[in-house]
Amino acid sequence: MMLFLLLLPALIMFVMSLYKNDKAKRILSFTSFAILLPMIKLFLLPKPYHIWGDYLIADGLNTYILLVSSIVGIGVTLALLTLDKHVKVSPNAYRRFYRFFAIFWIGLMFSILSNNMGIYWIGLELATLSTVYMIKTNHSSSAHKEAWNYMIVGAIAISLVLFGIILIYASAKPILGEDAMSFNLLLAHAKDIKSPFLFEIGFAIVSVGMFVKMGFFPMNLWLANIERASFYPVAALFSGILESAVIVGFFRFSKIAMEVNYDHLFIFIFTYTLLTIFIVSFLIFRAKDFMRLFSLSGIEHMALIALFWVSGGTFAALLHFGAHAFLKPALFLSTGVLESNGKYKIAGALKGYKGKKGTMFWFLVSLFLLAIISLPPSPMFFSELYGFGAMIAIAKKSDHLLAMIGAILFLLILLSVIFYRFVAIYQSMKYEGEKNEKRVYPSELFSLVIFALSLMALLLPITFDYLKGIS
Amino acid sequence: MILYFLTIICLLLLAPILLSFIKALKMILLFKKPISLLQGYRNFSKLMQKETIISSETSSITRYAPFLVLSPLLVTMFFLPPVVKGAFYVSFVDAFTITGLISLSTFFLMLLGLDSASAFGGMGSSREAFISALVEPAMVLTIFSISMMAGDLGIGQAGVNLAYNFPAEHMSSFLFAAISFFILLIAENGRIPVDNPETHLELTMVHEAMILDLSGVYLAIIEMAASVKFVIFSSLFVSLFIPFGLEYSPVVAILIFIAKLFGVAIAVAFVEVNMAKLRLFKIPNLLGISIVFAFLSLITFYVLGY
Amino acid sequence: MIDFLIGLFLATLIISLFTTRLYGLLLWYSLNSLTLGLLALFIGHELDDMAMLITGIVTILIKTIGIPYILKNLSQKFHFVRQINPEIKVQYAIMLIPAILVFTFYLSEPITQMINENNNYIAISISSLFLSLLLMMEHKNIAPKIIGFLSMENALFLLGITATDGMPMLVEFGIFLDLLMAIVVMNLLFHNEEAKV
Repeated sequence: MMLFLLLLPALIMFVMSLYKNDKAKRILSFTSFAILLPMIKLFLLPKPYHIWGDYLIADGLNTYILLVSSIVGIGVTLALLTLDKHVKVSPNAYRRFYRFFAIFWIGLMFSILSNNMGIYWIGLELATLSTVYMIKTNHSSSAHKEAWNYMIVGAIAISLVLFGIILIYASAKPILGEDAMSFNLLLAHAKDIKSPFLFEIGFAIVSVGMFVKMGFFPMNLWLANIERASFYPVAALFSGILESAVIVGFFRFSKIAMEVNYDHLFIFIFTYTLLTIFIVSFLIFRAKDFMRLFSLSGIEHMALIALFWVSGGTFAALLHFGAHAFLKPALFLSTGVLESNGKYKIAGALKGYKGKKGTMFWFLVSLFLLAIISLPPSPMFFSELYGFGAMIAIAKKSDHLLAMIGAILFLLILLSVIFYRFVAIYQSMKYEGEKNEKRVYPSELFSLVIFALSLMALLLPITFDYLKGIS
Repeated sequence: MILYFLTIICLLLLAPILLSFIKALKMILLFKKPISLLQGYRNFSKLMQKETIISSETSSITRYAPFLVLSPLLVTMFFLPPVVKGAFYVSFVDAFTITGLISLSTFFLMLLGLDSASAFGGMGSSREAFISALVEPAMVLTIFSISMMAGDLGIGQAGVNLAYNFPAEHMSSFLFAAISFFILLIAENGRIPVDNPETHLELTMVHEAMILDLSGVYLAIIEMAASVKFVIFSSLFVSLFIPFGLEYSPVVAILIFIAKLFGVAIAVAFVEVNMAKLRLFKIPNLLGISIVFAFLSLITFYVLGY
Repeated sequence: MIDFLIGLFLATLIISLFTTRLYGLLLWYSLNSLTLGLLALFIGHELDDMAMLITGIVTILIKTIGIPYILKNLSQKFHFVRQINPEIKVQYAIMLIPAILVFTFYLSEPITQMINENNNYIAISISSLFLSLLLMMEHKNIAPKIIGFLSMENALFLLGITATDGMPMLVEFGIFLDLLMAIVVMNLLFHNEEAKV
């Protein structure tokens, strides 16, 4: 029943997309709010709550992540209402977009809630394949190319994940039998795994697959290219929902890997993320359009989240994750307004807004822009503080404190490069370029307000308590 | 000892028949009237009666080379694995000896082609060098890996070992070696994907180009060498890769062996009918596959064997 | 027999790396999946595992017959380029493939020591994963890339049936579902291409 309620908005969306009616999409923006009801119920229920046997279990971690991604889903549905005002899209393709968005949402809901590695993978694959079509909605040759690109690279990444999952399953099968697929049992019996090498190789392959999917080190630009070629809501879905599903998998796998061999895990993730941030910061420095800028900064934040999580800063990672998942889709959705012609030019993007709606829009966007580089009132500021604190704390236990401080300083230098670039971009948006009149529609503004409100809600003491309660 | 010589004589007698058999089978498959199986003998006797003409431009190589082409192959015949139980065999011959003898024969064939200084001879020799340079490493690797699997470096002993206790745990490695060796069999004998033995077309000739200037007895010797070579390869293939039937009584064993030889001939004929001839510069691709499989069989033997 | 089939699996994959014709590639892929299905049937028979027998039959039906047939139909409908020359020259491929195999065999040596039965299967399935990645890399056309993706799926399946004695039924069927979904999406992508032109 719970599962049905959770899937209801997506199912309605799927059914509605089959009708050739323009009014249908207006209903969707209301029905998508319906997901909040079972979410609240989930929060109140005692955890862990078994939604579907041992396959889908809601605990503190994934309830939080599901809430975040549901809010993103609502925001995207709102912004989708006016997609045809900003870009050229045929009614048929529009409906198909909705249909595949629904499949995508269902797949990721399964992924996030799953307690079973297999179901986690199936959901992820379903989402990946449906994204291919959402990219293709844009009828340009570059979008077509990038859709194939996504299909191939995404399939490779996903296959790597499955490969690692099989290896992990093989390593744990002697002690757990068929239940070796369950995350919670694996976590409980992680110390008993007889062949840790097999598990570690499996984990390494899983995380490389996930990192490819999130655009880490060797594959830095592929997501950026794809997001640039497709319509802007796709990018918002990527950063808000897809990446949250990937990161929840990473959280779960790395939790088990921590039990098996913490040092190997830490060194592996540490070097990988540091390398990623190093490269990404300079790529950001060279970025010339919004899409690339935002998606590269998304990679940077994902790397930070992974780093904080493996350093033991659970709270910092989750807070950072929440903040990023609200900020990034908001920014991606606003790019549709900032530059409607799909060029995503930076200069003069924040000029030319009229009326109350316009003023509010550019005000919110500039707030988001400054929040994403973690200026103080933003939750990112706190999460980074806590995260670096956790890194120091973990180094204190070993005798590599100086090295860790060096690494953090290095990270701060890289982050300041990004900071500098974003400030420069903000100035160029506000003061350079020519003034073109842009229209803001109420639904978009509404979705931005939702994101802003939930961002503020992250800073409430009650949220802090909840997040600290997740271990 | 007697059995040993008998089998070798038997194989020698069989050699022209096998080639004629392939030709006849191909003709049947192409809905033509097939030639007789004894056509090889007829050609031989016809050529023996003809006058032998040697170009005045050539050196003494042309007079010696045909014998030097045939003799290494005849020596190789004595080194093959036994066909019947208890037959005598030479046990010290390994992959390098067999490959070396065969390439010695090829070497003289190439010299023969170059000696007459005709345009075709040089072209044929260069093509043959090109192909055999690719064949040799694969052949050494294949025979080496199969003899590793059999547990003896000597080919004769390897054939016996394979027949008596087949290494079932190395089945994948064995399979790779078999694929590799079959490609080599086709390439080294100038069968269709690599060379077409039936045409005298400038574009495609390899083997025929080298012997274009020969006539009479010399041509007969070279033709005989070609058929002996086919028998050597196919009997190596049969005794190393289809190893069974050694334990029966000699007559039955020989019959089984001959049946297997004909089986190989049928396979070659089917490949020839079903495939188009490759362009010369595509041949490395085919032989590359063979080298990869040879290497692969060795790797799988070493890494996965226990 | 299982050794033989697993050898055949790798052999078909390697031959498909050298293929220059699309239909040839489809044929090798179909043979590859056939050996995989037979392998599943044999191992399932040995272990007396009903689930694996079913997956073996489904593999043969879908991957050996279904997918090559659909792809062939698609290729005739949308006029794929049928001559697919590998971007990596054969000379390099000859060196690269054994290098990959040696590398993966040694990479998986510690793993194979840990699993008692079927120990070389894991090495072969990891190496076939890398080989299918190579297959995707060496072609520029989209159709061979799809086949590379599908044979990667095969490699994963091989790992699943040999290393773990079969995954849970639910997961395996999910994987099949996703494979079919992939085919549907591909079909849509091609269709859209057609509609535009």
